Amino acid sequence: MLELTALTKTFGETVAVNNVSLRIDRGEIVGVIGRSGSGKSTLLRLINRLTPATSGTVSWDGLPIYDLKGRDLRRWRRRCAMIFQQFNLAPRLDVITNVLIGVVAERPLATSLVKHFPATDRARAIRELEALDMVHAALQRAGTLSGGQQQRVAIARALMQDPELILADEPVASLDPMNAEAVMEALKTATRERGIPVLVSLHSLEIARRHCSRIVAMSKGRIIFDGCPSGLSHEEVERIYSGRLAGVTIASHNDLEVAA
Amino acid sequence: MSPDNAIADFEAARRRQLRRQWLKSGAGLLIASLLLAAAFHQSQFFTADIGGDPARRILDFLTRLVPDLRGEVLFRGTDTPGSLSAWFYDLPRWLDAIRETVEMAALATVFGAIGATLASFLCARNLMPWAPVRFVVRRALEVIRTLPDLVLALILVAAFGAGPTAGVIALTVSTVGSLGKLFAEINEEVDPRQLEALDAAGAGLLTRIRFGLIPQVLPNYASYSLLRLEGNVAAAGALGIVGAGGIGLELQRAITYTEFSTYLAILLLLVSVIFVIDLTSEAIRHRLILSQDREP
Amino acid sequence: MSVMSAQTRPVTRNWGLVRGILWTALGLAAVVAMIMDLGLSPKGMAAGFGKLGQFLAAMVPPSDGGDFSRILAALIETLAMALAGTCLGVLAAIPLGIIGAKNVVRNPVFHFIYRRGLDIFRGVPALVWALIFVAAFGLGPFGGVLALAAADIPSLSKLFAEALENGDPGPVEGVRAAGVSPLLELRFGLAPQMAPIMASQCLYFLESNFRNAAVLGIVGAGGIGFELEERIRVFAFDQVAFIILLYIVAVSLLDTASAWLRRTLR
Repeated sequence: MLELTALTKTFGETVAVNNVSLRIDRGEIVGVIGRSGSGKSTLLRLINRLTPATSGTVSWDGLPIYDLKGRDLRRWRRRCAMIFQQFNLAPRLDVITNVLIGVVAERPLATSLVKHFPATDRARAIRELEALDMVHAALQRAGTLSGGQQQRVAIARALMQDPELILADEPVASLDPMNAEAVMEALKTATRERGIPVLVSLHSLEIARRHCSRIVAMSKGRIIFDGCPSGLSHEEVERIYSGRLAGVTIASHNDLEVAA
Repeated sequence: MSPDNAIADFEAARRRQLRRQWLKSGAGLLIASLLLAAAFHQSQFFTADIGGDPARRILDFLTRLVPDLRGEVLFRGTDTPGSLSAWFYDLPRWLDAIRETVEMAALATVFGAIGATLASFLCARNLMPWAPVRFVVRRALEVIRTLPDLVLALILVAAFGAGPTAGVIALTVSTVGSLGKLFAEINEEVDPRQLEALDAAGAGLLTRIRFGLIPQVLPNYASYSLLRLEGNVAAAGALGIVGAGGIGLELQRAITYTEFSTYLAILLLLVSVIFVIDLTSEAIRHRLILSQDREP
Repeated sequence: MSVMSAQTRPVTRNWGLVRGILWTALGLAAVVAMIMDLGLSPKGMAAGFGKLGQFLAAMVPPSDGGDFSRILAALIETLAMALAGTCLGVLAAIPLGIIGAKNVVRNPVFHFIYRRGLDIFRGVPALVWALIFVAAFGLGPFGGVLALAAADIPSLSKLFAEALENGDPGPVEGVRAAGVSPLLELRFGLAPQMAPIMASQCLYFLESNFRNAAVLGIVGAGGIGFELEERIRVFAFDQVAFIILLYIVAVSLLDTASAWLRRTLR
């Protein structure tokens, strides 16, 4: 169970994530929606600490993530895999090596440095790629693949980490509809078959509605909706996406809070 | 296809690819290391007698290179050993030689840029319709770029005698070589519409160059010329070593008397002048680029 | 608006013209002053070009002077020096470049001073280094190799540092998110990006070092420069022409090989 408490991140004057508290359970696939700049990506990056938080805490099954240092922090990053909008594969390395990066931290350093991995690891990587229909490209350079294919490789790398949680930062924003569908299906499969909770930020409300079991909407760094997709009424959507209206409501909401 | 089959197929393919890669990179590595071993052997890098134990020699060299300045007499006069002015004992003469060096570089850049402009008109596809001329000029520029300026200087010193004349000519020639190529590339990237408009108005070649080309290319020409000036000052510093004028002669003199610390003093002087010129020229080049962006 | 521009335009154009004339006059005056100061005289020029004409005439037909094997050996030594010097320079520049990258050593004061320090020594020609190394370590290619390396190290370090700074952070972050140590981050995130860039820089420096190495013989630091100088001194210009032609062929061969390698490594 992932628990965020009063998480805040400021970049200079701007408050990217503002006092966010959230609980996510096993088996959930949670879509984070909101306009660009609403703090979705930052929120995700605060969880595996690619971005350090200004204040607040994150814990996983009671383990306080914000107390971890060095080796322990890296172990946590292994337990919560991340998928990026731009895939972030090493374009000049072959696909199989990119997938094996998911386990490289647990293997002997010397052999890892020469890109050598045990046959059992390779077999596992192939199985992950097979499930995503990418075995045929295993020996190709990752940079030669299409965006959709690269993202599937990135998912294989994430699953290779044997993660307890998956963070997906706009995983389908750079993909065409067909590939987007395949990627979302792959994430859903991970949740369904392995019980891995997925926290996925999405720009498209429609995709979130169809694939997520729960939707969290953000605006100006705050959570302004949290519930199941069916609970997302027309008015709520209006509030999340129509900038000015949302801005006004949020501002007045803030004022009230300050006044109180 | 079952996963096990997929794994077996992959392992087979991987073995094939690994073998190919090993062959390729193994051969490459072997050739490269053989070449390097041969190179170090041929240049007697590890076998040369440098006058005793290498570590001692290097230490000895460094002690002779660094002047022994003494704090308490640092600002005394030239005849006090250990003072700064004793280290830079011939400063006025060195400054004179550096002025000569900078002037050589400046003149060579001006003459070279003029020569390069002419050459670039002769080898730009959109200005010189006659292919054989373009070909000959381009090849000539290539040959010039192949020849180090110091080789040219060596021959020119034999013809013009020791002194800055040979240096200026050598640098001018190599400037024509490098700028000529760059200018030609700039010429070929100009917006053809302005040239066509003048062409349609019945303008001759010279008019087309003057009103269609020059306004477009001048900022780029100036920017590359300044960059070349920076390089020319550095290059001119070495010319004196072959007798072609400038500070190199003073460097040579310091070595003749094995005054290593004097050599270091002159070198420091030279690099600071190069550095100041680089900074100034960089600032001007930035302004040129800005002004070009503002009025396209 | 149109009235205004009609009024102002002739004025600004006049100003531009005046300024242009002023600058041109100033430039011309500076050029003339420098010519006088350096003592470039038409008479000296004419005499020099006359002699140069004689030299050029003496160059045809080129001849090896019966010493082809020696010339070839000197040329090979030049190439060997270039290879060894580039290799030494690269070996030294890799750690120096890593230290100089903004994203490795994050202290801005250190970064500024360090990079400026590299900049200052970037301009020193190899021949200037060779002069003192030969005086310190004796005649022969040893000093030449050191000089080539010394001349390369500042610019190569700077290039490596910039390549490190300009690397795509995406792959690095992707690897970091998999929880690996900084060393492996470098190995899998950054190194694959850097390798081809660095290899191609090394090849460029090899090409330029072959040109630099050709002159080091003038101060006794080995290579073809010595043969060249010796023959110029005795006015054996047919042999000078032969050496230069051979050298031009060697340069274009090396450049072609290096261009092919760069394409292959990409």
